[in-house]
Amino acid sequence: MQIANVVDKWTGAVKEVTIGATKDQGGTREKTVTVGGAKSIPFMDFDGDQGKRIVIAMDVYDIPPEDWPESLLKNYEDVVNDPASWAKKCAEEYGADLICLKLDGIHPDKGNKSADDAVNTVKSVLEAVNIPLIIWGCENNERDNEVMPKVSQAAAGERCLLGGATQDNYKTITAVCLADGHNLITQAPVDINIGKQVNILVTDLGFPLDRIVMFQTTGALGYGIEYCYSIHERGRIAALSGDNQMAVPVICDVGHEAWRAKEAKATDSEAPQWGSFAERGIMWEAITAVSLIQSGVDIIRMYHPKAVSITKEHIDKLT
Amino acid sequence: MSENDTFKIHFLPNDKIVEIEKGNTVLDAAHKSNIYINSICGGDGICGKCRVILSSGKIDAPATKLLSSEEAEKDYILACEARVTSDLQILIPKETRLEGKKILFDQNEQHSLTWNAILNKAQFKHDSLVKKVFLKLEPPTMDDNVADHERLCQAIMMKEGVDLNIMQTGYRILKQLPEVLRQNDWAVTVTLGHRGRTLEVVEVQPGDTSQRNYGIAVDVGTTTVVASLLELESSKVIDSEAIYNTQMKFGEDYIQRIIYVIQNEALDEMQRTIVSDINNLISTLVKRNDINLDDVTSIVCAGNTTMIHFMLGLDPENIRREPYLPAANFIPPIRAAQVGIDINRRGLLYALPSVAAYVGADITSGATAIRLDKEEMPSLFIDIGTNGEVVLGNKEWMVCCSASAGPAFEGSGVRHGMRAAKGAIEIINISKDYDVNYSTIGNIPPRGICGSGLLDCIAEMLRSGIIDRSGKFQKGIETDRLRKKEDEFEFVLVEKEETGIDSEIVITQADISNLVRSKGAIYAAVSILIESMSLSINDIHCVYLAGGFGNYLNVRNAITIGMLPDMPTSRIKFVGNTSLTGAKMALLSEEAFETVQKIASQMTYFDLMGNPKYMEEFMSANFLPHTNLEEFPSVQKELSSQNT
Repeated sequence: MQIANVVDKWTGAVKEVTIGATKDQGGTREKTVTVGGAKSIPFMDFDGDQGKRIVIAMDVYDIPPEDWPESLLKNYEDVVNDPASWAKKCAEEYGADLICLKLDGIHPDKGNKSADDAVNTVKSVLEAVNIPLIIWGCENNERDNEVMPKVSQAAAGERCLLGGATQDNYKTITAVCLADGHNLITQAPVDINIGKQVNILVTDLGFPLDRIVMFQTTGALGYGIEYCYSIHERGRIAALSGDNQMAVPVICDVGHEAWRAKEAKATDSEAPQWGSFAERGIMWEAITAVSLIQSGVDIIRMYHPKAVSITKEHIDKLT
Repeated sequence: MSENDTFKIHFLPNDKIVEIEKGNTVLDAAHKSNIYINSICGGDGICGKCRVILSSGKIDAPATKLLSSEEAEKDYILACEARVTSDLQILIPKETRLEGKKILFDQNEQHSLTWNAILNKAQFKHDSLVKKVFLKLEPPTMDDNVADHERLCQAIMMKEGVDLNIMQTGYRILKQLPEVLRQNDWAVTVTLGHRGRTLEVVEVQPGDTSQRNYGIAVDVGTTTVVASLLELESSKVIDSEAIYNTQMKFGEDYIQRIIYVIQNEALDEMQRTIVSDINNLISTLVKRNDINLDDVTSIVCAGNTTMIHFMLGLDPENIRREPYLPAANFIPPIRAAQVGIDINRRGLLYALPSVAAYVGADITSGATAIRLDKEEMPSLFIDIGTNGEVVLGNKEWMVCCSASAGPAFEGSGVRHGMRAAKGAIEIINISKDYDVNYSTIGNIPPRGICGSGLLDCIAEMLRSGIIDRSGKFQKGIETDRLRKKEDEFEFVLVEKEETGIDSEIVITQADISNLVRSKGAIYAAVSILIESMSLSINDIHCVYLAGGFGNYLNVRNAITIGMLPDMPTSRIKFVGNTSLTGAKMALLSEEAFETVQKIASQMTYFDLMGNPKYMEEFMSANFLPHTNLEEFPSVQKELSSQNT
């Protein structure tokens, strides 16, 4: 006897956002990356269109990262002082779909680098790689509002993804993204209401919804991943149920969060019962990522090349 | 106690001198002498409202952030924190005093009008709870030798068509009866009062006094106490009067007052305070209208559960403890004199019934006044007082909840908020160039902003782009009115030269947050009630909005900020103080009184704090108008047309 498949019908769809611009489109990228477009919940391809494949953005910092454990740092030892080479390595050796350039160095407590420094870094990275860029400020409102407009202008035409707009500080970044043709990250503290409210606030300023990617702040495995998972899930279900303001792709920050965990950092001598230090951090990052891909995300920011390849393999298997 | 341990505190401008022991606070001294000093937190040093000026003497006070350096230089101190260590002279500044702010009660109320039409419209028969009936008894003869008392009862039975066995007469009446009946040749006026299922012969007077029968209706509010004097026979409302609840000196909200009662074993003090407020109102009303206090035979009181407890001297402690139980919801009629209320010494006090600890007689009375029990379709009754209660229902069912909205729309917790009194800004318009137009109650220079003005203010600031949808000021707009003062942004509504107080009138970022939270709580309560009955906004036939906003309320603005659901404004009615209206109806009509009882017994109470969805709804409602814009299509349209 044949049993018919039970199919969930959804009325809404996640909007597609294209990051990067080729020469024809006014930029210098070799290729662009389009995310979003899902018409059903992740990997339930019998329910409906899955939209674009989940992509991985690898993080590059404008200053050498502090307290990265050795098992992570060794992959970048030769490039941590040069963001351009670092990005090139991620793009060419480690298979990044996107580069996420994090401008931590402009933070007053982390070097207070000038806007010109930031602009130069961005330009050098744009030159070094031909994949699209995410450019993220330092999350100090004053410095971001000063530096991000210049960075945005320097990358005008490249259709980058710039972040982030928060409830308390969204005007400047929204205005410059609108002017320079970039996409925008709206940010919320694991709060579905605030997430939607920031989207409303920026669209009130005339920013088109189909150039927005949401960031709900990520919690790593053992550090609140369940909150983060359920917020993503609720957001995605809202989007698929027809809530227009929630129907945008979602980005999550796995690398930074996973490698902050003591489980990723504790050495063999500090935690002999926890298994091999060399593997632990990688697994922590990979498990966080493969868990979250099922919650409804479109872009994952990651650190370790091995974790990246595990996650990609996993996505392949599920797709 | 040696002389050095007692000091004299001279309060100005009251010009009162109080002696108080060393170590007490200035606020204690003010309480002792019944001088009103603003205090929201009840003396916990949190609210900063009790600022007074130390003109001379020494005090001992901890450092506080609640006073600006500017104020500290002008010798401002917090009365609740300042411990007396010498003789003092204290000047109470305008903003910390109550005097001079006459409260507005229903200004639309036209006195000397009879309530027949109103009762008719509400479909209540005019039949006062306590009435006077003139009787001419047949004098007894040898053939007709029925005893005095039974003779009287039979006459009442004939005239009023009541059963003999429900009548009850007190000992005091019997003792005087033979004399009273014979004094005016068997012509007497009996005062009859409903007491549950029995009809009490409250008083018997010689001759015809039936035209001299008065009653008092009172709304015992946490903030204000309002009383009306009614001529019961004609159903005429003769006069009304309002005062601030003097209990405010023990804390502005009733939870603070319950705590005060518990900590200080001060239930008696709390009761005396409210009873004396009520007595002051009654005495003002009878004197002004040349009425004999003995002719006031009944009083009906509505008010929240705690206020009714305080008035009756019932233990309020369990109201604030799980599972939040009042001593009683249904209060039998008692003699007003038993709780110290001065009317006819045998006059009856009817306290209207509550539903639960946080849904009181003000709500059952209000639901009766609007005849929610006659609605065919589900309708909403929202009373925005110090708390904010919502009732949803129709003639078949009613559910209710308390929204914990806080008193922001009554003007508390808002820098220049005030109650709807003379000088309160009640209407605000803001132009595209951020010019502010306003009008005040009584057309005098503004002293503050009342509920309707605050509501206008939020809606207009949103429309003109001074604030965004999260209520945040939009720094960078081109106006000097938006400025930063002491680390907080504020918008100047009225410049100092134009006001009736010694400063500008502003609205601060914190004020806006308070008001947005308050409206969010109300909307969330509305949503939960509607959802819990599996209804939607479209099923709601009518919204009755009650509360002390002022004379006037811009219903459209209430929708624009997302306090009320998005529906045609023609279906929203601003109904003023319904607590008092219901009390008046009950006074005039036994049927209305019975309806309040029935509504109270039928209302189902929903505890929002125990509802897991409430917090969620509340968070979504903390946005202008709401995070789910699709619930406010007309506002969405209005705002987007303004943006372009």
